[in-house]
Amino acid sequence: MSEDLAFWLSYLTNGKHLTWYASFQFTIFAAIAGGTLAVIFGLLGAALKNSRFLPLRLVGSFYSSIVRGVPDVLFFLFFPLAFEQAVEWFMATQICTPEAIAAQSAAWPPCREANWFLGTPEYLVLASVSLGLVYGAFATNVIHGAMRSVPRGQIEAARAYGMSASQVLWRIQIRQMWVYALPGLSNVWMLIVKATSLLSLLQIADIVLWADRLGAPNFLPTVGLVHDDWRWRYYLVLFLFYILVTLLSEKVFGALMARMGRGILSEART
Amino acid sequence: MDRFLIDLGIFAPAALFNIYFAVASIPLGFVFAVFLALGKASKNPIASRLSRGFIYAFRGSPLFIQFFMVYSLGLSFNVSLWKPLGISGFVLHPLFIGPLVLTLNTAAYTAEIFYGALRAVPRGEVEAARAYGMSPIQQFRRVIWPNLIRLAWPAYTNEVVFLFHATAIVYFALPVIGQQKDLMITAKELFERDYNAFLHFSVAALYFLAVSLVVFFVFGLVYQRLMRHMPSAPRMRYVPKWIR
Repeated sequence: MSEDLAFWLSYLTNGKHLTWYASFQFTIFAAIAGGTLAVIFGLLGAALKNSRFLPLRLVGSFYSSIVRGVPDVLFFLFFPLAFEQAVEWFMATQICTPEAIAAQSAAWPPCREANWFLGTPEYLVLASVSLGLVYGAFATNVIHGAMRSVPRGQIEAARAYGMSASQVLWRIQIRQMWVYALPGLSNVWMLIVKATSLLSLLQIADIVLWADRLGAPNFLPTVGLVHDDWRWRYYLVLFLFYILVTLLSEKVFGALMARMGRGILSEART
Repeated sequence: MDRFLIDLGIFAPAALFNIYFAVASIPLGFVFAVFLALGKASKNPIASRLSRGFIYAFRGSPLFIQFFMVYSLGLSFNVSLWKPLGISGFVLHPLFIGPLVLTLNTAAYTAEIFYGALRAVPRGEVEAARAYGMSPIQQFRRVIWPNLIRLAWPAYTNEVVFLFHATAIVYFALPVIGQQKDLMITAKELFERDYNAFLHFSVAALYFLAVSLVVFFVFGLVYQRLMRHMPSAPRMRYVPKWIR
């Protein structure tokens, strides 16, 4: 019994498994960075949508409706690739000589010097930004709606005090809208958490990729424990992990809403 | 412009795969969701717990993981079950596993929508039905269901569009067999050939947008039909909440 326990303990703490546990950092980083950026982009988008200047308003509406109209995976893949290409193109205009361009046989990049190699950290940052961009569009709508839920009287009172438009925006609207925005933002956060499972599509060795590698059948005793296809066990662990994160997020957001809703009589509390 | 038109042609058959996945899973998911919603609302603790657990699990975890999990489970039963029965080629085929997982997934989300609508059905109408001596099945058929579907329809439309968007990750989790490629795989392969991200991904996005708009249009017509008894049929907004 104790031997079994020791065996499984040592199996679960071998190098590969430790790498798996370490790879959770990518997922957590992407979720937190993506969530923060989503709120920032959401605020920006809502500010654009509220703008008095028509073109800016159009930009805001365009952003929030087009990004939401296509699947998140599509944008999630497209943005890092497009950003990388844009940087490479810009580099190419700066450093590529005509000879180098002529010598380049591949379709991209224009010349070899302009090639930008992206490692895991770069892809992780780009993935977080694209998560932020995609879910920022969702957050734009949530925040836009929440800003309009702030009681008119509050804004009128602020104007009557002689506050400027930006003062009203920052001190009254944005300060008060969080109570109304929280239920929607909690939804967006859940979507972001679930979208972090897609990191492996950007060649990041994240928890999904490692679960696949660890569970793959192994028949060579020299490589490690001989077992057949155990992938479903590892995916089950991930399945439970995500459910647990959802449960925890729900609890945290519930507590946050109860705290933010103090003193405000509204349905936002329930 | 030429390349754009060529791309449109290349993507058309690929879009059919996405449409197939959505069309194969939506009706089944709808029926399953009705039972799940009733189960969640039922007084029987076992049925209620089970439905609650199912809905929570499938709403709380990523579809991507669900695909991997179901597919690897299927694989691990291959030698012991599917092979002897001679159906492994069918059970493990993406065109079967894909709709299966999507059905489970959309059933959970739809059930949550239906459950919310079920709780919003006016109590008075149900009480009146009971007072008339209707049996529970009659109550459901004549009073609860017509109310429920009208309340849930706008949110359900939204869910259908989301499900269609979710079909984009099917082939990232399941193996691509031969030329059976959906929009995303086609876009990715074309991108890997000539590195023109803007063209290929935009065309794929255009297909997704177009189908989404068609879904909104058709479901809007159905909504109008459902609401035809109202004095002024409330038109469904073309851009509902979009959040799942």
